[in-house]
Amino acid sequence: MTVAADPPAYKWVGTRPIRHDGYEKVIGKARFAADLDLPGQLHAAYLRSPHGHARIVSIDTTTAAGMPGVKAVVTGADFPDLDPTDPNFDVSVNVMARGTVLYNGHALAAVAATTRAEAAAAAAAIQVEYELLPVVLTLDESTADGAPLVNEHNVTKFVESDGPSNLATVNVLERGDVDAAFATADLVVEREFDTAHVHQGYIEPHACVVDVGPNGKADVWASSQGHFMVRSLTAATLGWEPSRIKVTPAEIGGGFGGKTTIYLEPVAARLSEMSGRPVKLVMTREEVLRATGPAPASKSRVKIAASNDGELTAIECWFGYSVGCTNDFAGLIGAMSVASYKFPNLKLEAVGMLTNTPKTAAYRAPSAPQAAFAIESVIDELAQSLDMDPIGLRLRNAVEEGDPTAMGMPHPRIGFIECLEALRDSDHYRSPVPDGAARGVGTGFWFNIGEQSSATVNLNEDGTATVITGSPDIGGSRASMALMAAEELGIDVYRITPTVADTESVGFTDVTEGSRATFSTGMAVVNACRDLIEELRARAATILGVEQDAVTWVDGAAVADGQDPLPLSAIAARAKSTGGPLTVTASLNAAGAGPSFAVHCCDLTVDEETGQVAILRYTAVQDAGTAIHPSYVEGQLQGGTVQGIGWALNEEYVFDDDGSLENASFLDYRIPVASDLPMIDTIIVEVPNPAHPYGVRGVGETGIVPPLATIANAVARATSTRMTSLPMSPPKILAALDTP
Amino acid sequence: MPRVHLMSDHRRFTDGEAVVESEGATVGAVIADLEQRYPGLGEALTHGASAGVNGEIHAEPHYLEVDTDTDIYFVAPLTGG
Repeated sequence: MTVAADPPAYKWVGTRPIRHDGYEKVIGKARFAADLDLPGQLHAAYLRSPHGHARIVSIDTTTAAGMPGVKAVVTGADFPDLDPTDPNFDVSVNVMARGTVLYNGHALAAVAATTRAEAAAAAAAIQVEYELLPVVLTLDESTADGAPLVNEHNVTKFVESDGPSNLATVNVLERGDVDAAFATADLVVEREFDTAHVHQGYIEPHACVVDVGPNGKADVWASSQGHFMVRSLTAATLGWEPSRIKVTPAEIGGGFGGKTTIYLEPVAARLSEMSGRPVKLVMTREEVLRATGPAPASKSRVKIAASNDGELTAIECWFGYSVGCTNDFAGLIGAMSVASYKFPNLKLEAVGMLTNTPKTAAYRAPSAPQAAFAIESVIDELAQSLDMDPIGLRLRNAVEEGDPTAMGMPHPRIGFIECLEALRDSDHYRSPVPDGAARGVGTGFWFNIGEQSSATVNLNEDGTATVITGSPDIGGSRASMALMAAEELGIDVYRITPTVADTESVGFTDVTEGSRATFSTGMAVVNACRDLIEELRARAATILGVEQDAVTWVDGAAVADGQDPLPLSAIAARAKSTGGPLTVTASLNAAGAGPSFAVHCCDLTVDEETGQVAILRYTAVQDAGTAIHPSYVEGQLQGGTVQGIGWALNEEYVFDDDGSLENASFLDYRIPVASDLPMIDTIIVEVPNPAHPYGVRGVGETGIVPPLATIANAVARATSTRMTSLPMSPPKILAALDTP
Repeated sequence: MPRVHLMSDHRRFTDGEAVVESEGATVGAVIADLEQRYPGLGEALTHGASAGVNGEIHAEPHYLEVDTDTDIYFVAPLTGG
């Protein structure tokens, strides 16, 4: 279902064609990184730390190097030591430990051999002497007075620092006078919350194949959210110039933020360079969970004041995130900005603390779900105390265009109120709550990001077009690019072939993060198409014998007074005689990524004997600006929701005292499956983003922000018990219900 | 003159002032002016902040043009998933 105030009349944008890459994926022909094999290829395996924190006294690879099939062995000594102030230092250290292992599972050697079994056997034969160091696993341990240092290279960002510490980042946002507001408030609710580390849970493990040739140039095939990112980080880790590396993007089996960085490629490259053979490196599921970025665990304190008539007058929050063993988790402003209400008084503080746990990575809207869980839970409790409808309270205070964001900058045109109204007016919300069930509501916000993108459009001699971009197709972006190109050029969407090209065949394109691909890369496609149309008008003018100004472009044809329309295919067929190939390229650094709001609603039951939560009905409402391909917008909303449900109810990292992950498999790390859930209903709200030619707002991230609180709010109403610790697993719910 | 809105930590350079006026036709020029008046602030803004200008956040705003009515909000860098 889509809600739009006055939808423009597009021919292709907003339709639902079968995705251009669908056939290959359905029949298994699409090539993921692990599907690729090269002649003479070796297989690689890691040795990973069995300790949560230890100094590497010595590594002896002699035995391993002499084992059957072994062709090369690497350790940290085979990679350059970057300066700790280098922006790529943390990635480099995580790729291969230098001197100290910082978490259980940290890579400290790798072997390339004829078979994977031989490589694994040799890796296991590497002799390492460790000096064990204290292991810091939790936020409380990290912040305690006299806490052991997690990472001797960590220096706090964004504040004055006088030396290494466990404090990674501090961000503070303030306005008004919170103390005075709380002192005079009619009602104040204050709560503490905590959440566990959770993983992005992509189905495809990290994988790559790297072939370093005799000329020193490397061909890399890899699964990632951005192959130019793979090129730059791999080069930095190896101490190479990026131009030595060509990265070809494989199809990607999910990323959700977790593939915005690298783990494997420099290791495979060095092994290939040393052995003179291509090297394939594929993580196991256990390695993915132990050694690739989970989202941070968190603790928070939230205090909100309200008047008796429902005006939110002040908010004071402290958010603590355990960001893992390194300090390259970005600023936490995004987290704090989920406080999207007209608070005249506000004080928000977010800190990141280091722990001897895997280096964290982005997970959709990074750090926002944890904050929204806390804030939206307190908002719901205020609504209960004030006996107000939870949507009514939010509508009373929701930000709109011109209101300040948490950071102070005014909001551009946004659709928060439209989303709240869409849920309020939905069949779900207007239906009675089923007997024995309870209903929860929650909201979410994410900024979205623009950044750099490139696109090339080639018009073929048969009148078809090839649209070439540098953004991997993670969520149906090929189809979206084709739809925008079809709308611009005025040709059938199936006469357009959207492709994702390697780093030597398309202009630089930033990593797909911040829900930016359809917004930014789509804008590059639109710009390229508009430049192509200018060229088509010029060619048509030549053919028709008129001035270019006399030619307009209408529905896929050049039109001039007194002449028959000249279709695009006819101009393409005469490209050679009118000036040569018809090809254009556009690049940009996009600004104006429109923020996106989401409002969710859930009906559920809680079995008070088992603690099991059953979700009966779930509706996700989100402002997409304009849904280029509504099916893939709905898919993003549903995917984010399901991941948020897993975060709320089941998923958590369980470490032993030495930081060993005890549930490193999908059997024990319980993500929701189809049989756990009802169909996730969606309502797409369309408040066009004025900064995009079709009004696009990114939709990939916001959907994961509301579910944690939405479910907690329903559980609170079902059990009269406010759950403040995630996941709300059956044992935790039973314990909470047993607590008087 | 452009108005510069500072994060809490950056206010240590300005004796606690949250909003300061500056001069310059680009964000880079504004930062240079602030460095002259508040030593250390320019460095902090250059390497530890993004800039929100006219409703948009810019990760590398150095050459972004501003006018006398522009509000510039310096915030911690933002990323996404």
